[in-house]
Amino acid sequence: MVDSSNRDVRSPATSATSATVSLAVVLAWLVPGAGHVFLGRRARGIAFFGIVLATLALGCSLDGELYRNLGQPLQTLATLACAGMGLPYFLLLALGYTGDIDAASYEYGKAFVLTAGLMNVMLLLDAWDIARGEKE
Amino acid sequence: MSHFNLMVAYALLLAAFFAILWRRELREQVKLFLQIFLGLVVGAIALAWLMYPFPSGPPAPIP
Repeated sequence: MVDSSNRDVRSPATSATSATVSLAVVLAWLVPGAGHVFLGRRARGIAFFGIVLATLALGCSLDGELYRNLGQPLQTLATLACAGMGLPYFLLLALGYTGDIDAASYEYGKAFVLTAGLMNVMLLLDAWDIARGEKE
Repeated sequence: MSHFNLMVAYALLLAAFFAILWRRELREQVKLFLQIFLGLVVGAIALAWLMYPFPSGPPAPIP
């Protein structure tokens, strides 16, 4: 909404406190779709949860690598992409899952695992926009 | 799973994700889903078809 002085003005219904925005973003990062559920987009949140976890499960079943090194630039980016999926990433690390580089499906699995992480990063940004009233 | 099945599964998941993320109305979601899904699958098949005449070279040595 824009007033006569061309300033951005949000109605009280769509504006959110910084605490709400922060909580939505943290929830969105921790559990895929949780940020949307928190913000009242329950159906979409559940759908996102299913899609991201299905992508991750498929990646793990194909022995895709779960990056955890921060040494080299490309590995750091891949690790950040994987860590983007939140709790599932740390749960898999705790369970000792790393992937199997000798598996025939390793490269495919890696693509699925990285995609799951990046999907959740996009969900996080979407939840941020919704919480700030920038998006419906 | 075969390479093709994996590609189709990847396209399905990605298309569903972006359709729900970027569109609100069901009709628009279905439309975007089909655009992305068919774009990925048909595009990959078309690319594979274009690459067919090129030699693949000798098979990689088994370690």
